[in-house]
Amino acid sequence: MDKLSLPAVLDSLAELRRYARNAAASAGIDEDRSYQLQLAVDEIATNIISYGYKDAGPTAEIAIRAEITDDALVVTLEDEAPAFDPRLRQMPNAEDLARPLEDRRIGGLGIYLATQGVDRFDYRREGRRNLNIFEVRMRHE
Amino acid sequence: MGFSISVEDGQGEATITLTGELDAAAAPQFKEAIEKVAEAKPQRLILLMGELEFMASAGLRVLIFARQKMGAGVSLYVIGSRGPVLNTLKMSGFHHSVYLQDVYTPE
Repeated sequence: MDKLSLPAVLDSLAELRRYARNAAASAGIDEDRSYQLQLAVDEIATNIISYGYKDAGPTAEIAIRAEITDDALVVTLEDEAPAFDPRLRQMPNAEDLARPLEDRRIGGLGIYLATQGVDRFDYRREGRRNLNIFEVRMRHE
Repeated sequence: MGFSISVEDGQGEATITLTGELDAAAAPQFKEAIEKVAEAKPQRLILLMGELEFMASAGLRVLIFARQKMGAGVSLYVIGSRGPVLNTLKMSGFHHSVYLQDVYTPE
């Protein structure tokens, strides 16, 4: 699918989810896994827009592209914010997730949901770009 | 699809209806509604989520905010949540802290 570039603002999230939903539909991925992919893309994009691009000007962009192979749908988010590997972020463990809400720490939940929602989540820095890669494998019956 | 929210104050309880897609762009509206209803110090906060199609962690953080703002003595009810949104609540361990019900039934 053609790459789509959008302004790096929270109002672009709905458009990014729609792109992921269309890609999942083209790849024949079921509704439930499509939702998980949309959630994963949404969470990582939210981080990029809110933190990565915190000090960026109005020209900052976030791009999304998708490739469908025989085995998998691979969706990639691209941005030019400072290098940030979400996998290095501390995520809640089972003990944190069992904690009552009044004792919760706020951070890490989004990246936890993102990485749980796809078959593979990867990050690469290429030149000035961050690549966040989401893979949903085909389930051939 | 977008997001919409409505608030209803009752006797000792506040009801918030969430509709559509609750992402980081929409979460501030939800947070504002929580701040508003918290002023009346309700004993129960009822969130009607049957028409909520999408919820990101930004929405979960507002639930944590609600709990921390209103105190552990206030009961939180999530009503009508289903499908992947319900799954997200459970994956995040929120079923330990809120009542998840199909139809509102005060505990």
